Amino acid sequence: MTKINEQKVNSDFAMNFGPAHPGSGNFAIKVEMRGERVLKATADPGYLHRGFEKLMEYREPMQNSVLSDRVCVLEPLQWNLVHAEAVDYLMGYEIPERAKYIRVILAELSRIQSHFIWYAVLSLGTGFMTGFNISIGYRDYILDVLNLITGGRVYPAGYICPGGIRKDFPEKAENKILELLPKIDYMRKFMLKENPAWLSRFKEIGVLTKEEAIKFGATGPVLRGSGVAADVRRDDPYEIYDELEFDIPVMDEGDALARFNVGVQEIEESMKIITQAIERLPKGEVRTPTLKPIVKFQNAKGEIYIRNELSRGEGAFYMVATGQKTPYRVKIRGPSFTHMIPIVEHLLTGVDYADVPAIYWSLYQCPADVDR
Amino acid sequence: MKLGIIKEVFKNVFTKPMTLLFPFERLEIPERNRGEHSFDIDTCISCGACARICPNLALEMIEAPPEMKEKYPKTYPQIDIGKCCFCGLCEDTCPKGSIKLTTNVFLATFDKDDTVRSPMSWNK
Ligand code: SF4
Ligand code: SF4
Repeated sequence: MTKINEQKVNSDFAMNFGPAHPGSGNFAIKVEMRGERVLKATADPGYLHRGFEKLMEYREPMQNSVLSDRVCVLEPLQWNLVHAEAVDYLMGYEIPERAKYIRVILAELSRIQSHFIWYAVLSLGTGFMTGFNISIGYRDYILDVLNLITGGRVYPAGYICPGGIRKDFPEKAENKILELLPKIDYMRKFMLKENPAWLSRFKEIGVLTKEEAIKFGATGPVLRGSGVAADVRRDDPYEIYDELEFDIPVMDEGDALARFNVGVQEIEESMKIITQAIERLPKGEVRTPTLKPIVKFQNAKGEIYIRNELSRGEGAFYMVATGQKTPYRVKIRGPSFTHMIPIVEHLLTGVDYADVPAIYWSLYQCPADVDR
Repeated sequence: MKLGIIKEVFKNVFTKPMTLLFPFERLEIPERNRGEHSFDIDTCISCGACARICPNLALEMIEAPPEMKEKYPKTYPQIDIGKCCFCGLCEDTCPKGSIKLTTNVFLATFDKDDTVRSPMSWNK
């Protein structure tokens, strides 16, 4: 990063990157420019605020479960899981073993399809249309299986719900998931090697050092791309993650390519998790106490902060129950917030404008989850 | 390297494309798909559980019109598909299985009133 003279000159100008930019996705960055150089970047969120935290105070947990899908469009099953765990804790539910396995399988499938989207927007933003098309195409194979299991392609509508899951796997769902794995593997290899010229564009740009990553509160692939081995699945295991064998990919470079490569390696780890979970999938019930979508939240009292490793980083729910039918307070911690406001502003200062899209998308953002 | 490209081209000439020619071919929609609702008024016991659980207030319990009052004396759910988010909670909560979500996903309409289905004229 070169040092920039603070004094304004006549040729300085400001422009907006987003919110109508294809792919910036309801999020804007105001960039002040001098020629081709970015002097200052200011994040401008708020185009997608839907007020989930307040809405959840007026709805019952089962209805909130449906709502929790929408926190982030690209990883709804994982948000379902965090929400369900918060209610499970407050209600003191014992989750049946089979439901735990199914929760993990679906969360990992959701992680893979989310990483495919990452590749898609990264290619879309930097003009590699082939990458966008093929990745969205391969994601569709996963969505077909999710549709078979949850009944919805993108939104599972609270499939992972308080007490377990809403319905057991349909017939042959396990086989369908195993049939998916070679396709996912093909796409993973494609992501690693295609195409070298395009991949080299991400080398040594947007470097986030280890200290900065910790200071700004980065999580997920962004933190692991800067050389910190932190993963909630390992540090604070939930569901059945402590029984499974998988690695935490870490890279030391801290540049855009390292972050992305961590993501690609995570796909392989997710595939390992899915294979192990399907092999050990036990038989039995999938939901306590009944299959009816009713949670007697009047019986719950107390508060809880539950965190999970989502595809983008650490996502968490803070929930307070005071003996009413609905939660007294809900607070959602999304991983994208820290990536999209302090980190993006820091990384974009002083770069060439042509690198803005590459750095922006390498941070694996989700504007929906920034605004909530 | 060059041969690799030719191999790839030949492979792609003979493999099936990833897309479908929509009106002529279509993807099979799984049975669990949450699409348009079907409702069977004859099995409904008017308990109102579906209207209570609906997160979007898309279901409303209404009375039958006067000429059908004799046969259907209680209140029955009317749905506004335009408000529905297809969560399927009504299906799960119904004690008699009267409401079911079907595989019909073609719900676009030109008239806003078409989204409301009264319990009498609802498809079974
Ligand atoms: S599917 Fe959900 S939103 Fe639609 S009517 Fe049923 S309960 Fe209401
Ligand atoms: S449709 Fe089912 S839940 Fe709704 S009122 Fe009738 S019986 Fe009750």
